[in-house]
Amino acid sequence: MPGWIPASDINRRIWRSRAGRAGVLLTGGLLAAALVAAHVGPPDPFASVGPPLSAPTLSHPMGTDDLGRDLLSGVAHGTRTSLVLAVIVSMLTGIIGVMVGALAAWEGGTLDDLLMRVTEFVQVVPRFFLAVLVIALFGPGLERLALLLAVTSWPWIARVVRAEALSLKRREFVEAARALGAGGPRILLREVLPNLLPPVLVVVSLNAAGVILIEAGLSFLGLGDPDVVSLGYLANNAQRFLRVAWWMAAFPGAAIAAAVLGLNLLGDGLNDALNPRFES
Amino acid sequence: MSRGRLMARTVFVLMAVWSLGTAPARAQDAPVRGGTVVAAIVSDPGHLNPAITTSGATHAASELLYNGLLGRDERGEPVPELAESWQIEQGGTVYRFRLRDGVRWHDGTPFTAADVKFTFEEVLVKYHARTRASMGAVLAGIEAPDDRTVVFRFKQPYAPLLYQLDATEAPIVARHVYQGTDPQTNPANGNPIGTGPFKLVSYTKGTEIRLVRNPTYFKAGLPHLDGLVMRIIPDLAVQVLALENGEVDFLWELPGPQQARLKGDPRFRAARTGYHPGGSNCIMTMSFNLDRPILKDLRVRQAVAHALDRQAFLTQILFGDGKVAAAPISSEIPWAHAAGLALPRPDRAEAEKLLDGAGWKKEGEGPRTARGVPGVADGTRLSIEFLHFPTFTKYGELVRQQLGAVGIGVVLKPLEPAVFAPTVFKDRNFDSNVISYCNGPDPEIGVRRMYHSSQIGPAPFTNAAAYRNARVDALFDEASRTVERDKRTRLYRQIQELVVQELPYFWLVETVSTRAWAARCAGFKAWTGHFAEEAFCRR
Amino acid sequence: MPSRYLLRRLAQVLPTVAGLLVLNFCIVHLAPGDPVIALGGEHGDAAYYAFLRARFALDRPLPEQLLTYVTNVLRGDLGTSFVHGRSVAGVIAERLPATILLVATALVLSSLAGLGLGTLAARHGRRPADLALNAAALLGYATPSFWLGQMALLTVAVGTGLFPVQGMTDARHPQTGLAHVLDVAHHLALPALVLAVNELALTTRLVRTGLLEALGADYVRTARAKGLPEGRVIRHALRNVMLPVLTVIGSRAGMFLSGAVLVEVVFAWPGLGRLLLSSLLARDYPVLLGMFLLISFAVVLANLITDLAYARLDPRIRYQ
Repeated sequence: MPGWIPASDINRRIWRSRAGRAGVLLTGGLLAAALVAAHVGPPDPFASVGPPLSAPTLSHPMGTDDLGRDLLSGVAHGTRTSLVLAVIVSMLTGIIGVMVGALAAWEGGTLDDLLMRVTEFVQVVPRFFLAVLVIALFGPGLERLALLLAVTSWPWIARVVRAEALSLKRREFVEAARALGAGGPRILLREVLPNLLPPVLVVVSLNAAGVILIEAGLSFLGLGDPDVVSLGYLANNAQRFLRVAWWMAAFPGAAIAAAVLGLNLLGDGLNDALNPRFES
Repeated sequence: MSRGRLMARTVFVLMAVWSLGTAPARAQDAPVRGGTVVAAIVSDPGHLNPAITTSGATHAASELLYNGLLGRDERGEPVPELAESWQIEQGGTVYRFRLRDGVRWHDGTPFTAADVKFTFEEVLVKYHARTRASMGAVLAGIEAPDDRTVVFRFKQPYAPLLYQLDATEAPIVARHVYQGTDPQTNPANGNPIGTGPFKLVSYTKGTEIRLVRNPTYFKAGLPHLDGLVMRIIPDLAVQVLALENGEVDFLWELPGPQQARLKGDPRFRAARTGYHPGGSNCIMTMSFNLDRPILKDLRVRQAVAHALDRQAFLTQILFGDGKVAAAPISSEIPWAHAAGLALPRPDRAEAEKLLDGAGWKKEGEGPRTARGVPGVADGTRLSIEFLHFPTFTKYGELVRQQLGAVGIGVVLKPLEPAVFAPTVFKDRNFDSNVISYCNGPDPEIGVRRMYHSSQIGPAPFTNAAAYRNARVDALFDEASRTVERDKRTRLYRQIQELVVQELPYFWLVETVSTRAWAARCAGFKAWTGHFAEEAFCRR
Repeated sequence: MPSRYLLRRLAQVLPTVAGLLVLNFCIVHLAPGDPVIALGGEHGDAAYYAFLRARFALDRPLPEQLLTYVTNVLRGDLGTSFVHGRSVAGVIAERLPATILLVATALVLSSLAGLGLGTLAARHGRRPADLALNAAALLGYATPSFWLGQMALLTVAVGTGLFPVQGMTDARHPQTGLAHVLDVAHHLALPALVLAVNELALTTRLVRTGLLEALGADYVRTARAKGLPEGRVIRHALRNVMLPVLTVIGSRAGMFLSGAVLVEVVFAWPGLGRLLLSSLLARDYPVLLGMFLLISFAVVLANLITDLAYARLDPRIRYQ
C-alpha cells in the first residue's frame, strides 16, 4: 500500500469516509440492538408468546412465526448469534493469519515458501462445501462450524499481513530499532504488528460478512444448529410460509443483508481510511 | 302478456338458470379422453419397483405401472382388480382367488397365476417390510393350480389378507422379468414392465418420470389421460407455486399453511385422505426408551403426557389438518379404534406433582434435579435426548417448549432417515423420539410391530420402546388368529386399554394428507396409489 | 515465453490436487464410525461391506489405502453411490451440464453487465447516478442468494406469471430443436439472473473503483488534454482495471458455486445443487465426497484460468 498513515489517524479518517460512517453506524447499531433486544424482549426466542402466523403489530413488531414465537426476539437473538459467530471466527482467523503471515515475512526463505504453499492450498478449499461435508459426517453444531470456518478463512489475511510486513520490514524505523539493538521478536511485536492492524481489520470485516452468508446458506439447506436461533435458521423456517407470512422471510433476510452490508461498509471505510489519496 | 306465456317464460328462465348453474358440473362429470397431467413429487424414487420397498417416494411414482390382486375403494374396502372374485375357506386359513382373463404385461406377455405366486414368494415376503412383518410368519404356501387360480394357505386363520393386496401393499411384478435375478439389482427396476394403466416412457433421474397410457389395460376405457408426468420438486412451497402457475396439475401433499388460501380458490380442488403411498393411517407417536432409567418410572412418562398439549400440535404444526390421537389405533380403522379411552389430559400441575413424586425436584432455573431416583445419581439434571427426522423438527420444538415448562429439559437431535433407523433400532441410542407409525389398512399390519415383544430388534420401525408385556403379546397373538371382526374389535380394545395405562408410547396426532389439483381436471382418487387411473382434464 | 509460465503454473497445480485428494481421504477416515459406512451407507449388508473393504483396501495400512484411493480417482473411479446404485462419476456427470449451463450464463451476465454498469458509474463520478448504482451494488452483494431467489419466485414468477417457478423444461409439452432451446432459456432466465446478482454487484463495484482510480492517473489526463475521444481513454483505462477484477472474480469461485447450489435448490433446477441436497438427505457419502472433490478441482481450475488470463494480459508477469 502506498503511503503510510499513523494508526492514531485511522479512527478520524474512518469517520470522514462516508462508507466508513455508514458501516460503523450500521454494524454498531445492529450489534447494540441485538444485544439490547435480546435482553429486553422475551428471554427465550423459542417460547410461544402469541397467535401463530400473525402479521406485524405493535405488540409483535415483526409478527410471529408458525409456532407463535415472536419474530423480533428471534431476529434479535439471531443477529446476535450471527454477529458473535462472525466475531469469533474473525478473531481466530485474525490470529492464525497474522501469525502465519508475519512469520513468513519475517523469516523468509524456505519457511516463507512452505507457509505460502500451505496458504495457497487452504485458499483453494471451498469452505461452504467442506462445511456441508463435515456437517453431514460429524453432525451440526455452531462451535464446529466456527472452528471449521476459522481454519479455512485465514489465507487471505495471511497474504495481506505478509505483504504488509514485507514492506514494513524495510522501513527506516525498523532499521533504526534494529540498529538500537532490539531483537527480531521485539521489533515484530512493538513496531510491525500495530501497523498491520488496519489492513487486517479490512480483510477481517469482509471475511466476517462472508461467514454470516455461509451460516445462512448452511441453515437454509437444513444443516444449521437446531438448538440455536440464527438468522439462517429463521430464513429456513420461513421457506414453507412464503405465501402466507411474508414477514417470516423478509425480516431475517433483511437482517442478514444489513449485517453483511454493515460489515462490508466498515471494511470499505477502513480501506478508504488507509488510502492516503482518499479525501472525503 | 298472457299467463301462459308468462309461465312459459318463467319456466324457460328457470331452466336456463338451472342449466347454467349445473352445466359446469355436468361437463366435469363426463370424462374427456386425452391430455397430460403433471403431478409433483417430492423426491426422486431411485427406482420404479414398489414390490421391494415401502418407500413413499417409490410408491408414489410407480404404483400406476402395476396392479395388485385387489384394489381399495374410498372406504378402504377391497374391490376386484387383477382378481375378479375370491372365496374365503376353512375359517380364514385358505383364500382362493379367480384371476381376470386377458390381462397382459406391458410387453404383451400374458399375465398368469404364476406371476402372483412368484411375486409373493420371491419378492414381497423377502423385501416388502409390511408384507414380511405381517404375512411372512404365518403364510404356509401359495399354489397356482391353473393360470387363473391362486390359492393362499395360512398356518392359522389370517384376517387382514384382503386389505393388503392392493398395489401399495402387494404389487404384482412379472415373473418372466424377475425370475432368476436379484430383484434389488434387476435393471427392470429402472425400466419397469407392469400391468398397470400407464407404461413408462422415460425416467430422467432427478427431474421427472414420463408415463403414457397403456392401450391394452384390462379396465375398458381407462385410463382417460394420454400421459402422466411426475415432476420432482423437492420444496413443497415451490410445488404450490407451480400449481398456481399452471406448471403442475396435481399435488400429493398440500402443505397446511396453504390450505386455507387454496380452498377458497375456485381454480383448485382438494381432498383429504389418511392414505399415503408410504403407508396409511399414520399417527405421530412419541416413543419412550423403556431401557433408560429416566423413563422406567411410569410417573415420569405420565408427567410427560400431562405436560403435552396435543391440540397445539394439531393447530400449529398441522394447521388443523388431522386429529388429536384419541387411541393407540387410528380412527381411520373405525372397527379397531377404541373410543372413549382416558388418555392423559393436558395438566401442568399434575405433571409437576408426578415429577416431584418420582424424585425429580425443581431446584432453581432449568431442568429438574434427581433426588432419590432409582438408577440415577443424585444431582443429575432431567434431560431427554429427543431424536427426529429433520422434517419433524416442529414436533421436536413443540415438545421442547411444552416439556421445558414443567422442568424437563429436551435436547433435540435431528437425524436423517438413513441414520435415524440404525440409531434407534439397532443401537437403541435414544431417550425419546417421534416416529410416524403408520397403522396400515389393518392393525395386524402396522400396529402389532409396535407392541409385541418379538418385534424388539434391529429391523427399522418396529418396537422402538422395547415394550414387553406378556398379556399384550397374548392378546395380539389371539387377534392374529381371529377372523370374526367383532371378536377382533374386543381384543384390540383390551390391548389399547392396557397400553394406554402403561404408556410405552404417547400418541400425538393422526396425520392426513390433502391432495390438491387444478379444477379443470377431475376423477382423481385420493385414497389410493392409482390416483390418476380414472382422471381426466378438460382443455 | 508464455508457455514456460504455463508449464510452471501447471506444475503448481499438482501438489494442490494431491493435497485435495489427501484431504478427502482424511475426512472419510476422521469421521466417527467405520469408514466403510461412509463409503457404503448405514445399512448395507455384510457382503457389500466386505466387497467395499476389498475395493478400497480398508484393512490395509493407511498409506496403502491412500495410494489405492488416489489411483482409483485418477482412473475416474470415485466410488459407487449406494443410493443410485451407479458410479458416483456417472451420477455427477449426469447433473453437471445443467449446472454448467446455469453457472456459465450467470457468469457471462454478471461480467458483461458489471463491466457496463461499473463503467457507467465511473463516468458519472460522484454524482447521483453513480451513488445510486453504488448503493444498489452494495445491497446486491449483501443479499443472500437464496433469499433473493425466494423473493424473485414470489414477486416475479408468481406475481407476473411470465416465468416458470421450477425445473429446466416444460413438463407438459416436451420440446425439440429450437423450441427446446427457447424453453430452456425461459426456465433459465430467473435462476441465472438471481445467481448473477451477487457477482454483478461485486464486479460493478470493482470496475467502478478501479476505473475511478485509473481515470485519475497522469497519462489519462494527458490523453484527455491531447483531445483523445473519451471512449478510447476509457477503454485503455479498462484494460488496466481488468487485471485486479479478474483476480477477485477468480478467487470467488468457491462462493459463486455455493450460490449456484442454493439457487438450484430454490428453483428446482436439475443440477448439482439438487444432487447435493438429496445426497445430503440420504447421507450418500460417496456422492458428497465426489462432489466436494469436483468442486475443489473446479476452484483450482478457476484460479488457474484466472492466473493464465492475467499473465496473458499483464506483460510484466510473462518474463518472470
